[in-house]
Amino acid sequence: MIFTLPSKKTDSQQVEKKAATGAVKELLRLSKPYTPQLLLACLCVFVVNAAFLIQPLLLQRVIDHFLIGRSVSHGLDSIGGLALLYLTVSAAGGASSYIQALIVGKAGQSLVHQLRVNVFSIIQRLPLPYLDRTSSGRLITRATNDTSEITEFYTDVLITLVKDIMLLIGIVYIMLSLSLSLTLVSFTVIPVIVFLVFYIKNRIKKNFFYMKHFIGRINGFIAESISGMKVIQIFRAEKEKEEQFLKLNGQYFATTLIQVRLNSVLKPASDMFQSLAIAILVWYSVGKISGGMLQIGVLYAFTTYIKQFFAPIADLADKYTSIQSALVSTERIFELIHEEDSLEDTDSGLPMERLNGTIEFRHVWFSYNDTDWVLKDVSFVIKKGQTAAFIGETGAGKTTIINLINGFYRVQKGEILIDGVNINDIRLDDLRRNVSVVLQDVFLFSGTIRDNITLGDDIAEEAVQYALQASCAESFVKDFPAGITEPVTERGSTFSAGQRQLISFARAIAHNPAIFVLDEATANIDTHTEKLIQQAVDNIANGRTTLIIAHRLSTIAGADLIIAMKEGRIAEKGHPRELFEQGGYYAKLLNESRSHAFSS
Amino acid sequence: MKSSVLLRFFKDHKYSYAAGFMFMFAASFVQTLFPKLLGSAVDLMKESRFETRQVLVLVAWMALIAVGVFVCTFLWRNMIIANARNLECFYREELFRHMLKLSPSFYNTRKTGDLIAYAINDISAVRMTFGPATAMSFNGIVLCLSSIYFMFATVDVRLTLITLSPLPLIIVLMLFTGRKIQMRFRTVQEQFGLISDRVQENISGIRVIKAYVQEHSEMEKFSGLSSRMLQSNMDLIKVSAALPPLIEFGFAVCFVLNLVFGSRMVLRGNISIGDFVAFNGYLSLIASPIVSIGRVVTIFQRGMASLGRLHDILSIPPDIVDIPNPLRVQPSGNIELCHLTFQYEGAEVPALRDISLQLPKGHTLGIIGPTGSGKSTLAALLFRLYNVDSGQILLDNQDINEYALEILRESFAFVPQETFVFAASVKENIVFFKDVYNDDEVENAARLSLIADSIDGFPDGYDTILGERGVNLSGGQKQRMAIARALIRNPAVLILDDALSAVDAVTEGHILNSLRQTRKGKTNILISHRISAILEADEIIVLDKGLIRERGTHEQLLKKGGMYYDIYTTQQEDGLPAS
Repeated sequence: MIFTLPSKKTDSQQVEKKAATGAVKELLRLSKPYTPQLLLACLCVFVVNAAFLIQPLLLQRVIDHFLIGRSVSHGLDSIGGLALLYLTVSAAGGASSYIQALIVGKAGQSLVHQLRVNVFSIIQRLPLPYLDRTSSGRLITRATNDTSEITEFYTDVLITLVKDIMLLIGIVYIMLSLSLSLTLVSFTVIPVIVFLVFYIKNRIKKNFFYMKHFIGRINGFIAESISGMKVIQIFRAEKEKEEQFLKLNGQYFATTLIQVRLNSVLKPASDMFQSLAIAILVWYSVGKISGGMLQIGVLYAFTTYIKQFFAPIADLADKYTSIQSALVSTERIFELIHEEDSLEDTDSGLPMERLNGTIEFRHVWFSYNDTDWVLKDVSFVIKKGQTAAFIGETGAGKTTIINLINGFYRVQKGEILIDGVNINDIRLDDLRRNVSVVLQDVFLFSGTIRDNITLGDDIAEEAVQYALQASCAESFVKDFPAGITEPVTERGSTFSAGQRQLISFARAIAHNPAIFVLDEATANIDTHTEKLIQQAVDNIANGRTTLIIAHRLSTIAGADLIIAMKEGRIAEKGHPRELFEQGGYYAKLLNESRSHAFSS
Repeated sequence: MKSSVLLRFFKDHKYSYAAGFMFMFAASFVQTLFPKLLGSAVDLMKESRFETRQVLVLVAWMALIAVGVFVCTFLWRNMIIANARNLECFYREELFRHMLKLSPSFYNTRKTGDLIAYAINDISAVRMTFGPATAMSFNGIVLCLSSIYFMFATVDVRLTLITLSPLPLIIVLMLFTGRKIQMRFRTVQEQFGLISDRVQENISGIRVIKAYVQEHSEMEKFSGLSSRMLQSNMDLIKVSAALPPLIEFGFAVCFVLNLVFGSRMVLRGNISIGDFVAFNGYLSLIASPIVSIGRVVTIFQRGMASLGRLHDILSIPPDIVDIPNPLRVQPSGNIELCHLTFQYEGAEVPALRDISLQLPKGHTLGIIGPTGSGKSTLAALLFRLYNVDSGQILLDNQDINEYALEILRESFAFVPQETFVFAASVKENIVFFKDVYNDDEVENAARLSLIADSIDGFPDGYDTILGERGVNLSGGQKQRMAIARALIRNPAVLILDDALSAVDAVTEGHILNSLRQTRKGKTNILISHRISAILEADEIIVLDKGLIRERGTHEQLLKKGGMYYDIYTTQQEDGLPAS
């Protein structure tokens, strides 16, 4: 092979094996409520197959009985009668096939709708530690592609499987009842076709995996190149990037050629074997027919049945693959559904509709992965209405404190008290309604500005207007043609970073939290917006317990309490003035920035 | 000119195409001999005493045809279909090369997803058109024409006409239903897209949703979307499930017509039983190409639309190109701007207005000003990311447009506000895929930009893979990485565009110090929001709405008491503790 891939192949095979056992049960269990529909569909399939198989027999009778035998017609047993029968059988087959598709479609789609909603609701309630471990792409796949994969299993795979197997059995049965020896002769070729189809399809499937791998990499490569095009051009890396691309594209081309080669054998070769089988049949029949032991019509029917044998075989080989992937998808989805026990329950716990907002950390130790402590023995008290500023370098543990106050994670040692109650005992729903968090990287949903402020909650118009004013967002919102109903595109990319932050302030104020938590934005905000943000923060902080991860000295200086973090521990805490006089970390930071400004 | 890429490709591969079509013709034509042979065999055998040898000769022919068709089909597929794959890759290369030449003004107006769609979906549609669809049409036409010819010529004209009379109806029905299916299928796909978007947005914003306890309303919204998807799927199934039975029934009518009229003709002695059998054979041969007409039409339509889109994008001329016989002398770094004015395409006001300044080699220029004042634009114009509208930029007294683009850009190194890190190793990201630097140089550049310690902490040091699948860098680390990328090139002119915004004040000071030493005697441009980053520059300009408001050294500007002074005092106040 011209390329190597990680051991993914063996992995996926193992997964398939493992999946096969449990997933089959789960799939069948899911379909249980639809048993009557599925049975009815099977009945329809039976009619379809019967119609399909009877047709060559009718033709055989016409040839042998009337055209060669020159028999006299009796009523329906005439050419006209048989023709009518042929038409009726076709019509019945067609109608059954349509009814079956409708029944199965309806059952499959309803089933998958339920499953999809179920998966989505589980994703909603997954605890954050789980979400941190799992890539978002994977979760999206669960709710979309994996459920589609299962739809296909029900609407397409399951019933076709039944149909194909019935059909194959039917063909063999009719062949045997027409002529044992001809059947045996036909079977000199059929195993070759079966082997060919399964063998080549398997290789096609494997190669297709490589093709997908490379097209995925090409996709990623182009995406990255486009995003980084400016840098590529500025640093003159065009040639190098082109070479990398040509190599990748060439590897892809090599795999597609293998695909072309395999495909140019599969169908033509089985066509060839069908034709050869007919030649062999004729050759074998020559003696029998001349001896009067075989009728020509029977020979003709056999040539038709051999052709009919190919389609279900090719189908089965395809379905085998679809079943495998449906099983893998089922396994994955049920892995998620089995998370049920660890899901967040936002409803239980001590109801506390309105918090006062006193926060106390008592010897809190916390780690995201149970090995590296991010917070080490952290203790502090923030009283109701106070503003606390957290300072310290990246990775000192500031953001972690925010995550804990929200109830997103549970601490390993020590405890967090809010209004004197352990945070783990408070009803999550109430806790989160009372805490508003504004992160540095503000997330806006597609919709309007208004939607992004209310988030679908029932908030009075005056409250929304007030939120706009207090957040200082009004100044730019009113400049939009549609004002507050101005549409927000995906991720709010049309707004500047500062504007996004102001909108998220409005969101926080509109929800009137007892505790306000802010991770101050750092980069790319001009002096004007910065002043607006400062004003908004003052408005919000007024009368609320406020926690700020501060980057601006002005914010820090205005706080009631400064908590300086260093490597997970509190390095110093106290009122800004006190700390300045103490001459520790805060004082150093202050001097540093001033010496910058004054030196020259 | 519409498909110059295509024409070039066809020309280069004309022999394999010619041979491919020859084999395709042979395969299709020979196939149509088979029913006739079978019919002749039946005719021979229906007599009570027949010559066995004659039948065996026919059997030998059948076997020969079977093998012949296989060989021809195998060959044409390996020519025509393989060529289509080749065309796909060829097109993609052309497109990627073209993309590398297009300037930022092109990328500013396009979404990455759309551009990727060209390279994957559109090109794939073109492949489908010139591969399978072309083969199916050619094959189908030959197969149908020769089948109908044999039906006419060797069986009976009247019988053929009667039997095939339902065909036009089948085709019309199929095309009509096909269009309907396509429309409904599109709706299903749109619904699927909506669901995907919804889930994606939901997961990206899950922290906000949880923080504001929105799980329930999100679920309701999703459930609504999902049941709409269920509905449109059912709408699709209602139509799509009807098509195959209808077509099959149409052909059943054909068979029945043959059964009634054909056998009557056999009984009357107009045609033989062999003819009757052969006729049935031809009917089934015709069926499969007819059934695929709808699909082929769709593929062609899509392919042509994609071809148009690809042509549109490929015919956008790169707007930044070398003049004939460009200058290839390394500039030393004397920059002069004369009355420079620049306006972005589609913008209402100019981004820069009448900018003139001189920056001699070895000097450092500081640029400060609010967001949108034109700072980054000024930098981008220096190394021709955009073409200058009016005015001139001189580098060593030569217009920058006179230089070869390669030479010009090599003499600059630019560190942008938002750094792009490639999914490659740390080292690759610093040397930027060029093989000309040794490890010492890489480490030195990393040290000077204060990223060396972070790199040493990574699992594989300089070989650590960055990006989504590797180590994620913090904003500050990214910026320092980008500075290393610039420093290793030791350029005549270094530009930092707010490139220290995410590093803390202490680190900023260190980096500025190390720059002062390594960049001595070379030209530097520092753009920043913070006065601390630029105050030591030889000249500082204050930009506002594209105009130079103030210029001078730090001290001069402070004395002036203007805009610069205001910025300075605001930033100073921030530093004082509240009393």
